[in-house]
Amino acid sequence: MMYDVCIVGTGAGASGVAHKLVEAGMNVVMLERGGFYKEEDFSKDELAYCKREIVTPSFKDSYHTIETQESGKWVKSSTRDTERTYFNGNIVGGSSNFMSGYFHRMKPKDFKLASTYGAIDGANVVDWVSDYKEFEPYFEEVERLVGVSGEVTHFEHHEPRSTKNFPYPALDEHPISAKIDDACKKLGFTPYKTPRAILSKAKGKRDNCYYSNYCGSYGCSSGAKGSARASLLQPMLGKKNFSIITHAFVKKLVEKEGKVVEALYVDTKTKEDKRIKAKLFIVAGQAVESSRLLLNSKSKSFPNGLSNNAGQVGKNLLFSAGGVGSGQFDEDSMALNKLMVEGLFVNRSLCDWYFYEEDGKEVKGGIVDFLFQHANPMTQATKQRFDNGKLLWGKELQDKIYHKLNKTKQLNFEVFNDWLPTDNCFVSVDDKYKDAYGVPVANIRIGAHKRDLEVGEYLAKKAEDVLKKMGATEVKSSISPAPPPNLQAGGCRFGDDPKTSVLNKHCQAHEVSNLFVTDGSFMPTGGSVTYTWTIYANSFRVGDYIVKNKNIWI
Amino acid sequence: MKKITRRVFIASSVLAGTALVLLPQEAKSNIKIDLFKTLTAVQEVLFPKGLVAPSAIEFGATAYLANVATHSSFLDSDLVYLQSGAEKLMTEYPDFLSQSPKEQDETLRAFIKNHEMGENWISFILYFTLEALLANPIYGGNKNESGWKWLNHNAGVPQPKVPYAQNLQGEVI
Repeated sequence: MMYDVCIVGTGAGASGVAHKLVEAGMNVVMLERGGFYKEEDFSKDELAYCKREIVTPSFKDSYHTIETQESGKWVKSSTRDTERTYFNGNIVGGSSNFMSGYFHRMKPKDFKLASTYGAIDGANVVDWVSDYKEFEPYFEEVERLVGVSGEVTHFEHHEPRSTKNFPYPALDEHPISAKIDDACKKLGFTPYKTPRAILSKAKGKRDNCYYSNYCGSYGCSSGAKGSARASLLQPMLGKKNFSIITHAFVKKLVEKEGKVVEALYVDTKTKEDKRIKAKLFIVAGQAVESSRLLLNSKSKSFPNGLSNNAGQVGKNLLFSAGGVGSGQFDEDSMALNKLMVEGLFVNRSLCDWYFYEEDGKEVKGGIVDFLFQHANPMTQATKQRFDNGKLLWGKELQDKIYHKLNKTKQLNFEVFNDWLPTDNCFVSVDDKYKDAYGVPVANIRIGAHKRDLEVGEYLAKKAEDVLKKMGATEVKSSISPAPPPNLQAGGCRFGDDPKTSVLNKHCQAHEVSNLFVTDGSFMPTGGSVTYTWTIYANSFRVGDYIVKNKNIWI
Repeated sequence: MKKITRRVFIASSVLAGTALVLLPQEAKSNIKIDLFKTLTAVQEVLFPKGLVAPSAIEFGATAYLANVATHSSFLDSDLVYLQSGAEKLMTEYPDFLSQSPKEQDETLRAFIKNHEMGENWISFILYFTLEALLANPIYGGNKNESGWKWLNHNAGVPQPKVPYAQNLQGEVI
């Protein structure tokens, strides 16, 4: 069978474009490495979802090699040894199933960092070949289709909006949010009400949020969370021109005469090799795996990987820079009956320093999101085993656990600032390291630019000020060059010059006309926000372009 | 969000984690029963019965460990590690099982002092003991939700019907 379009992946970047193409009547098949979990399959099983990484490939099946710098040398390790996976949510809907859904839009200047702020030594910052004006209608479309709830809070750097309000009202807030507002006012900061990709009101077959108290890292049992699966894919099930094949790990895209003609995949349940033919191919397997697939798709015309004759595939990989911090609250800082309320959201961010002044010059900053430590009791209890490095047990430990879980709450913050693109952060493949299917695994070199840490420290200090003003104790933070493995972008940046970019402004490969990449890979810089909203918006944008020009391929 | 995996937690002490991958892959022991008997005794010292807190035996700490150790997410090397520590403890302190709780506590503290692997091994067992205290009872620990009850913990809804998030849906659509 010949499909119109074959999409590799089913996450946010895959599903936005799928939605547009299926609506336009094109015959679309999606290939998903993992299984299909629906609302009724998800539960609040901390062991499975948070401690055993059950929805990522086992290390026996696949892994990554990681290169980090030690004493000036690049040292390679395997995630099989470190057990720190760089896969994220390998089921239909991808990692969007497990996000917390803190949704911030990129700002207009994020699209023009190089021309606004000039070059930074050691970083490959370039302007986007698009702008906020082109993206705005798609950010808005995400608000409606995926579902974003919130209340517009104005602050100095707020981006322009084409609509006044979010389509869904803000979610219910925990009493501590008012305390954050109070502290911010005293400090002269703007408490920003964080928009969330979580429905406060039902939408179609999706129920509203039921404040389960277990959100981030868990699949959503009501469909309120704006996963690609719940918001875009499930509504298309049953359409004749749409199908999803699960347990399909794509090993290679086969090229003939400058075009992709088929995808070779293995059915991970039967171990059988299979193939799909289509007129147009779209890759969206999350940044690291998308670059890996192109690099492993070698042919006579593309000896270094598909669309990689300029050697750009895998380059300028991005994570999110920043780190985390926390403060402790107990009955001295807030009445216990209010503090210990469960399930309600904090939904506060600091955005005043998205851009800030340093030595009389404006520089690029970032944001801070506040959130309670996840309710996960096992995670909280196991952390109590040590007291200043000393192992505790018996009554001493029991008292500590009881106090921690019954009498205190930890308010965390997460700092997000730009992970500057550099020559030291990329994806490559090496025939020496292969997965269970004989396919070279992705090697990820992770080098962070020192500026990432400076900006992160600046923002963390502001968040610490808020916690201290609120009366928190044990206020601390950790800004680190270690990346969060779930926040990936870059590797196939878009641009006008085929020598320095993989994709054109429509996310179509410069070198292969029937190949698009629509996950976060296209981003030359990522903004100081989590990437999901931008990925959804871009996926819709590319979808519109393909539909408009479909006669070229179909 | 920024996730930390199981092993990173286990490595949160100074020594933890490192020994695990370095251990030789010894043949799986034929003294498994002794291993779990030793573990039961150690776990009861680490988590004894409190005024309200259930003890490790009461909430099924060893049963939990024996159960999760059979799943593919539990590394063979972890089991080898548990075994090698237990053998060391029993070789060094052969009457450990017949000691009073107070003596056993002192023995474990001496074991940490005298053996490089001691603290790491006990921390490792304690990690799984605390998992057993608070995991969903479907995994064999937290018997009668005794861990949750002790901590007035409200479990998330829905609770799992099957372990390890197995998916009972049809897969190809």
